[in-house]
Amino acid sequence: MRRVTTLFSFTILGLMSLRVSAQQTAAPPSHNEVLIKNAVVMTVTRGNVQNGSVYIKNGKVAAVGKEVNAPSTATVIDAGGKYLTPGIIDSHSHIALDDDVNEATSPITPQMMMIDAFDYQDKAIYRGLAGGVTTSLLLHGSANMIGGQAVVIKHKYGASRDAMLFPGAPQSIKFASGENPKRVYGGKEQLPSTRMGNFAVQRAALVEAQDYMREWDDYDAKVKRGDKDAKAPKHDLKLEALADVLRGKLLVQIHCYRADELLTEMAMAKEFGYKVRAFHHALEAYKVADELAAQGVAIATFSDWWGYKQEAWDAIPWNAVLSMRKGVRVAIKSDSGDFARRLNQEAGKTMRYGGATEEEALKMITINPAWIIGVDDRVGSIEVGKDADLVIWDGYPLSSFGVPDKVLIDGDVYFDRALPGFGMPHYREGE
Amino acid sequence: MGAQSSVVILQSSGLAARRWAFVVGQLLLVLAVCLLSVSVLAQQKIVVLKGGKLLTVSHGVIENGVLVMFSGKITALGTPGSIAIPKGAQVIDVTGMTVYPGLIDSESYLGLTEISAEQSTNDLIEISDEIMPHMHVYDAFHAESELIPVARLNGVTNAIVAPHSQDTLPGQDSLVQLDGKSANDMLLVRDIALPLNFTGEQRRNESWEKRKFPQTRMGLAAQLRQAFVDAQDYADRWADYEKKRADATAKPDDKKGPPSPLKHDLKLEALLPYLQGKKPIVLAAQEPSDLETAVGLARNFNLKFVLNHISHSRPVLDYVASLKVPVIVGPIYEDPRNYERYDAVYSLPGELYKRGVKIAFASYDAHAVRNLPYAAGYATAFGLPHDEALKAITLNPAEIWGVADKLGSLDVGKTANVVVADGDPLDVRSDVKRVFIDGREVPMTSRQTELRDRYSGH
Repeated sequence: MRRVTTLFSFTILGLMSLRVSAQQTAAPPSHNEVLIKNAVVMTVTRGNVQNGSVYIKNGKVAAVGKEVNAPSTATVIDAGGKYLTPGIIDSHSHIALDDDVNEATSPITPQMMMIDAFDYQDKAIYRGLAGGVTTSLLLHGSANMIGGQAVVIKHKYGASRDAMLFPGAPQSIKFASGENPKRVYGGKEQLPSTRMGNFAVQRAALVEAQDYMREWDDYDAKVKRGDKDAKAPKHDLKLEALADVLRGKLLVQIHCYRADELLTEMAMAKEFGYKVRAFHHALEAYKVADELAAQGVAIATFSDWWGYKQEAWDAIPWNAVLSMRKGVRVAIKSDSGDFARRLNQEAGKTMRYGGATEEEALKMITINPAWIIGVDDRVGSIEVGKDADLVIWDGYPLSSFGVPDKVLIDGDVYFDRALPGFGMPHYREGE
Repeated sequence: MGAQSSVVILQSSGLAARRWAFVVGQLLLVLAVCLLSVSVLAQQKIVVLKGGKLLTVSHGVIENGVLVMFSGKITALGTPGSIAIPKGAQVIDVTGMTVYPGLIDSESYLGLTEISAEQSTNDLIEISDEIMPHMHVYDAFHAESELIPVARLNGVTNAIVAPHSQDTLPGQDSLVQLDGKSANDMLLVRDIALPLNFTGEQRRNESWEKRKFPQTRMGLAAQLRQAFVDAQDYADRWADYEKKRADATAKPDDKKGPPSPLKHDLKLEALLPYLQGKKPIVLAAQEPSDLETAVGLARNFNLKFVLNHISHSRPVLDYVASLKVPVIVGPIYEDPRNYERYDAVYSLPGELYKRGVKIAFASYDAHAVRNLPYAAGYATAFGLPHDEALKAITLNPAEIWGVADKLGSLDVGKTANVVVADGDPLDVRSDVKRVFIDGREVPMTSRQTELRDRYSGH
């Protein structure tokens, strides 16, 4: 495997250098030190602080509490008694891809990198930001059983492309099942056109990856034995990506609706020895919530969208809370530039449909999606050391009436409703 | 009453033994009539909602109010001291609850679709031609749709059902009530209005290869003008025919005799009530240019109209106000254009209200009709007063659709479409507890609650 490792070290190095340069090219924060005071601080993980303050230093939360020590030089933002939450995290988005969501020419395309299509000037990023979204997982679409690898962005609209990439976020890969793949390929009289075909295609791809890994292991063993005639197998980016799934290097995000398919996907993961991070949509999760909880698989679901296709016919708005009560980690996601703008309202619906508490509802759009993306140590709650991605809300955030007043990312104000034009300090149209 | 008249029959039946059989028969009849009377009474029992906060919409809020429903109507409402609770009434304590009129969705596709992606369940639009005014929503309305109870459970009791908007004239809307024994019961007003869509979406320009007339807005407008001109000619021909026929009847000896019969044309006939200004056109446009073209067309033919959508017409809202017509706003969640600020669509209802325009919200959906109140709620975060937001899903649509004598507010004499919720009707956190339609309490069940109950146990 040495040469492959070398090849991929290059890739990783490449990505790392990209990230390093991302940090270098990011606009320097205009405020190194910010104090937000007079807020109802909803920390998500440590309850609410009435009349609370948050002190931000170098883009990170440095202190949270009723009284915090902040130097007099810090820029003060008076929240005026309003609610302060962590930035909203959307664990299922296809914005900013200029419609290059699906490479729908083959049902197995794990070598597609969504970053290659990332359109950082898409206004949908801005509109999400104005709705309080600070981090999104941009996924491949659901045309393929195994689609491409996702990119995680921060909604720093107006910043450079590289400054928008979430530094150090783990790599996710998109799987899909059910109606979409079978419709896309069945429509072309290709495999798969049934759910049998779907899973046969997925299984065959994973078996091929196992064979590929064995070939390389065999070659590496020969080289180790000193076999000068050993011939290296060909590098195959597709199989290499699948091998990374089998090695557990990628977070597996599966588009899946029906209860039976949720079970089949979990069985296949067990058969091939990888873990499913989250089921997306998962509208029938409530039927098999015990099994999901036992496997530690999260869901990223809609609050109440239903009936748009056959496999969404058994969707019920109680899905999120019924699943949560069985121990499933639940996120409410957008899957659309539209819903992304009001995920707070969508999360509020779980308080009504099933009686989620305020904290439970808030978790579904903050720390839980952060976990699904694998960045819960960095964002998703207001805690010392975490990124200062914060939203000041006009109105109660989990209601019909809550809308963002100001949105900060890494301690910098990226959206301010009070500003004219687009409401963005770092962006002016046409510049 | 049945029982009394039966007693009279019994007394006059005499003593003749051979008549005993008849008497027994009469007794059975009396019994049957009594049972029937009991069941009729049960249906027509007086229901009183007591202790709730009544959002009347028409005359303010009554705290700790009393609302009386009988025989499908609201028969009294007011403060506890002002209303006597009738004897034998079923009194429901709704203390701490909010009571408000059933919500009205000003454009939905309820009853025309079940599962969006399953074509066999869709009766949304006839796309074989752009001019289809003779399509009637009532011919397709599926009263037993599983979507209807879902909408109803969130307090939506009435809706305009419209065809989809891919045709310029896609067919005529109906106003429905979301409970009833059958479609006949639920279709309150058939052919209540005719949508006229001029948003560009109606062009047949899917691709250069598949292009056909009308490929452009010029084509759409020309075709539309021709349709209205044809309808005017048709009306003239018929008027002429009727006149000649009347003349022939009046002068039977005239050599000319009666005129030759005319053929009927359903398409043109469907346009006549609209050309005569008897019913409103629902004029849909998005951008200022389309809006002004569409309004020009409507004025050329003296059409009575309400506006629909106008989501991206912010620069011309003063012009809109000057038209003095109501506007169906939304969908409020539609993305702004890239050149527009993020809240350009959210704030449209508030901006229209400020200019004195009467507005109503619509879901423009079938599955998401239940979210109608939340769209109104969201508009309050962008400048629309809360009371006006509630009005825009109750009394305003009732007035716009000409049914304010029956629907849209809590007032004596109106249809008892009444909703009880545990909070603000516009807030996502509020749970709707009871829904009355025509004074009947509808069961709070849907296919979705059944699934919830089946799977929440284990």
